[in-house]
Formats: sequence, structure tokens, C-alpha cells
Amino acid sequence: MKIGFPRALYYFDYFPFWAGFFHRLGIELVTSPPTHRQIMEQGLKKASDETCLPLKLMAGHIQALQDVDAIFLPRMVSVEENTYNCPKFLGIPESLLPAVPPEMPVLSVVLNWRKGKRQVLKDLLHFGVQLGKSKAEIRKAFIEGQEWQNRYQDSKGAGWDFEDSLREIEDARKGLTLSQRAVESGSIPSISVRANDSNRLRISLIGHSYLTLESYANLNILQRLREKAEVTLTEHVNREDVKVHLLGMRKKLFWSHAKQIFGSGNKFVKDPQIDGIIYLSCFGCGTDSMVQELLARIAREQHKPYMVVTLDEHSGEAGLVTRLEAFLDMVERRKIHEGNVSAYGECLDRDSNTL
Amino acid sequence: MKVTFPHMGNAWIVIQTLFESLNVEVVVPPANSKRTLTLGTKLSPESACLPLKLNLGNYIEVADKGADTIVITGGIGPCRFGYYGEMERQILRDAGYDYEVVILEPPDGSLLGLFKRIRYLAGTNNSWAQILKAMRFAYRKSVALDRVEDLIHAARPRLPQQMETEKLYEDATSRLAQTMTDKGLQETVRWVQESIRERLQEAQRTSEGLRDPLRIGIIGEIYTILDPYTSGDVEQYLGRLGVEVDRSIYLSGWTGNHVFQGLAPGYRSIRSYPRHAKPYLPHFVGGHGQETVGAAVKFAREGFDGIIQIFPLSCMPEIVAASVLPQVQQAYKVPIMTLIVDEHTGQAGVQTRLEAFVDLLERANLQGTIGKKRGEVLSVGGR
Repeated sequence: MKIGFPRALYYFDYFPFWAGFFHRLGIELVTSPPTHRQIMEQGLKKASDETCLPLKLMAGHIQALQDVDAIFLPRMVSVEENTYNCPKFLGIPESLLPAVPPEMPVLSVVLNWRKGKRQVLKDLLHFGVQLGKSKAEIRKAFIEGQEWQNRYQDSKGAGWDFEDSLREIEDARKGLTLSQRAVESGSIPSISVRANDSNRLRISLIGHSYLTLESYANLNILQRLREKAEVTLTEHVNREDVKVHLLGMRKKLFWSHAKQIFGSGNKFVKDPQIDGIIYLSCFGCGTDSMVQELLARIAREQHKPYMVVTLDEHSGEAGLVTRLEAFLDMVERRKIHEGNVSAYGECLDRDSNTL
Repeated sequence: MKVTFPHMGNAWIVIQTLFESLNVEVVVPPANSKRTLTLGTKLSPESACLPLKLNLGNYIEVADKGADTIVITGGIGPCRFGYYGEMERQILRDAGYDYEVVILEPPDGSLLGLFKRIRYLAGTNNSWAQILKAMRFAYRKSVALDRVEDLIHAARPRLPQQMETEKLYEDATSRLAQTMTDKGLQETVRWVQESIRERLQEAQRTSEGLRDPLRIGIIGEIYTILDPYTSGDVEQYLGRLGVEVDRSIYLSGWTGNHVFQGLAPGYRSIRSYPRHAKPYLPHFVGGHGQETVGAAVKFAREGFDGIIQIFPLSCMPEIVAASVLPQVQQAYKVPIMTLIVDEHTGQAGVQTRLEAFVDLLERANLQGTIGKKRGEVLSVGGR
């Protein structure tokens, strides 16, 4: 049996779990090819107009899955205690059914860690039995899936510090992919490592993994930035650091992605080594509309250069390049002049966070 | 301490009653207006949803009247509204408004924390029994308000003097706002019923009789459907076009479900909606996304002529609902229109769309009686 898994949205975070799970069950999991023009166009046709870019891409990827017996669209309600995923995750698969080719069966299972491990296992058992697997097999597969997921998540932050090159993380990821063929390295753009030049700017790019790592949709922003600066991502901050930087909030955030983004963003703001922060968001993202404002406030307090780039299906390359260049120029100039620029106009551009 | 709160349709009447019966000083913000929205939009993150912008506008407008404490309900997601209180607190602090924000929710799941917050608001002079009594009376008032509102929904398309119907509604709400007894509530509802009955009889005597109005169900995000300013007075305008409107969520239905945790059903209980939504959206999606789908199914089954979904731009749960609704539309052959509102929504634009939608529904009704449809393309030229 061959099951298709679209390379979009939760692929970038939770694919290892499902890969491990199905690997153990002896079911082949096929992913769609990396996003290209046609996938995006197909997605735009089938997804509802109001939804956000990642979901539109998801609709495209569903159509790009060929030669599979079924498409797997799990409902990822929650991945940790006391949090939710974005409501749009909760509406999958129903909201994406128009994109599924006719006659193609859709497999779905609820994954809800809010109610604890027992409930997750119960749902998975129910799902696995439908696929004709024994309960013992499913239990083992669940453990294997968790192992893969943990290894993947640990590899993200492991050994990361600003002296180290980004290569190490790439290797860690590749190590994972070598030992486990199913985790493809294609999703993470390869980078050319340069000599550690202390003069290079350090920029952190924060945002949802399905935007920062989706190189087609974000117009290759990661590569473009890396040509000019050292880049750190949300994923490079390990879980403990995120937790520490979430402390002291009067009200806890209740979305897991938002927690990760805010925690790492908060760390980057406080980190004197980071010269500037770029928040990559997409039009209509509900969680970002809150988190980006919370971060902007901290960035303003700490006088950290901060820019929000909003993507949608109409984003143009030239526009993005101009903004990136301008931002980097500004950060660089600020670094040289130590930000000793006349305070004139400081109140006028309170939204731009330039100084 | 002077307490204030954000507007949401008629909710102010209920909240004001609640605080006044506890002898807490309360300042009601001026009604939502263009000014409210403009003030709020200036401070809000640009991509935040419309209710946040209006809430902030409310707080700013009431700041110079001496309000110093904001009361707002909370939640733990996944809808954005759960984070409003904290977001608003930070925005107002940065903008130089010195507000204390009290979010009515169990902080980190601790009921004790919630009781502490209620105690903080109610002061030390009120016993818990008094607080409970006040809450129950406020709830009964919200049920009465909803009954009046629904009566007006039915009266608008049927009564000939439209402005008088609006006046009746206004009088009734202000009477309800002032009364502090159950007797007053019942009498006001009865008074509205009587007035409508009288006018109906009058109308039957003078004109050709009653019109049988089209019926449209309004579904969607609670703030936008409860607050007439936000939706561009959709219900009133539809009423003037001769359409009877029903709504999926009423204020008391929401408070019954959320504040009293389902112990009170409210005027229109929202509890049955998830069951109706099951074939189309079996899982809750935050906010009232699933309720929206369920209400659409329910309205369709009850034979409504059309359904209008309203939500603020970028509302996450409603977007999910909106992408499921075409299937309901197909299954029940009921036209569903989606209206998305934000700070740039103009009333004329909304009205044009409503008129077009109503025309469409009326034509569908006519077709059955005339029994004549348009022929082939080529037959047009031959006429």
C-alpha cells in the first residue's frame, strides 16, 4: 500500500513522526515533489480564496500526489499539552476535500495531545485497525514515530551556537536522513558554508516552518539572506531555550507554533549578537497577527531592527529583494554608527522599528 | 474603580445591569461608530481581526470618561479572541492609557484565580450569593433582549411602517436596559408582542394583507453577527427589503454555553449545532466555526431560502467553515453568500450585495410559479 503525504504545512514539523509510524507498519509513504509553479497554480484554483498561502500550497500538493492508493491528511489538533495548532489545521481534511482528486480515498486521524498520550494512542489504534494492522504493531509504530520525531527535533537545536557554522545542523539533519531514508533532505535548502567571518551580519529569520523552509513560496529568502549574512532560524533554538524565553508572559500563548516563534524571537531580540530580525509571515495568518505585534513591542524596547515580510501568492521577487537589501543596509549602517542617529522622527515611524 | 468593557451589539445592556446590580461603577463606551473604528485601527496591528480594532476604539473613547478597568472574557484558543485581553493591555499601555485589564477566565486553568478576579471586580461588599443572583438576573435580561430582537426580526418585513418598527425596537431595548426586575422584563416583552399584534391587525385592515417574506439565516462569527455596526446593519437592511432574518447565535445562547458552561440553554441554544455539522465538519475548529456549519445545515433543513455567512477578514475558524459551506450548499440546494467585513467595508457595498442576493432568491421563488425558464442562447435573438 502506498500512501501520499503532501509536502506542505505540517510536513515541515511533524513529518518524521508519520514517516516513522508508517515505516514501522510497512506502509510506503510517498511525498509530493518540492513546490513548483504548477503546484502553486493548482492549489490556488482549488483552495478557498480566503485561506492562507500555506493551505493553498497544501491544496496544490494534494493534487500533485500521483500513483498513490490514498492521501493521508491527519487532523493535527494539538502536538503538546495546553496548546492548539492553528484552527485551519483543525479543519483539515474537510476544508481541503475540494482539492482531492475524485475517487481518491482520504485517510485521516485525529492527533490530539491535549487529552494526553492515552487518547492519542487510542485514536491511532482505531486508525491502524482500519488499515488492517494489529494493535501490537500499531503500538510499536507509535513508539517508533515518536523516536523519529524526537531525533528530528533534537537535531534541530543540538550543538547550535553562533560560533558554529550552519553546516553542523545540516549534517545532523542529513545524518537523520541517511539513517532513515524516508526523511528527505530536499525540504531544507542546502547552503554553502562560508568561512566564519566576524564582520558578517547576523540576521535571524523567524516564522512558521512551512514558510521559512518553503523555498518556492518564500522566493528563496533563506538563500538570499545567507548570501549576505549569517542566518539563524526559529528551528535553531532548542526547546529549553524557547521555554525559558516564554517565561514572564502574563498570559501564555496557546498555539504551539506561536510559542516556538515567540520564544525564539524573544531570545533573538535579547541576544546582542543578532543584528536584526526578519519575521516571515503570510497574508491572513491569524496567529502571526498577534505574535508579530508582541515581538515588535519587545524589539522596539530593545532597539533591535525588526522587519515583517508578508508573503502571499502575488509576492514579487523584485519587491522582496529591494526590501531585504534595504533592511540589510540599514542594519549594517547601524552596526557601524552604533545607532547614533538623530532622534528626529523617532515617534513618526513607530511601526517601522528601524532604530 | 470605574469598570468599562468592549461593545458587542446589545451586550452592553446586560453587562451594565450586572455591574450596576453589584453597585460597581460602570462606564458604557459610546456606541460603535466610524470614530471608534478609526481610533482603534490606528493602534491595532494591521492584520488583527476587526473586533480587536473596535474594542480598542471603545476603550479609547471611554478613557476620558474616567474608566480605569477593562473587563473582557478570555479563553485558551485556538481562536485569537483568547489573547485579546493581554494584547489590548499591552497596546493600551504603550499608547499611554493607564488601564487595568481583568480577563475573566481561569488563569492557567485555576478556578481559584477566576474567583479572585471576580472578587476583585465585585469588591468586598458583595457576597457570592449576591454575585450569583446578579449574574442570573443579567442572564434573564439577555434572554428577554434576544426575544425582543427575534420578534423585531419577524416584524420588520411584515409591518408597513418600517421606521416605527425600528422605534419600537429602540424603545424596547431602552426599557429593558432600565428595568431591574423580572416583572419589568416580562412586561417589556409582552408590550412588544402587543404592539406588533396591534400593528399587524391594522396593516391587515388597510392593505392587501400580509406578505409572505423570504427567510434568510445569518450565520458566522459571533461579534460580526451580533454587532449591527460591524456587519453594516445587515439584519435591519434585509428586514427593509422584506426578508425575515434569523440568526444562528444569540447573546444569551452564547453566555449560556460559555459563562454558565451549558447549564443554561439561552434563547437559542447553540448546543445542537455540532451534531448538525457532523457530516461536514466533525471536529471543532475553535471560535464558532463548527457552529456556523451546523447552523447552516439547520437553516437549510428548516427550509430557509438563503443563508448569509458574515465574518471579519482573516478569521481563522470561519475560513474553515467557509471552505466547507459549499458542500452544504450543494447538498441542500440552498444559496449561501459570504460577507467578509473589515475596516474598509462600506455600507453601500454591503447593501448592493444584499439586494442582489435577495433578488436572486426572489427570482428562484418566482420561477416555480411562472414555470418558464430562459431558453437556449439562440432563442434570445429570435424574440
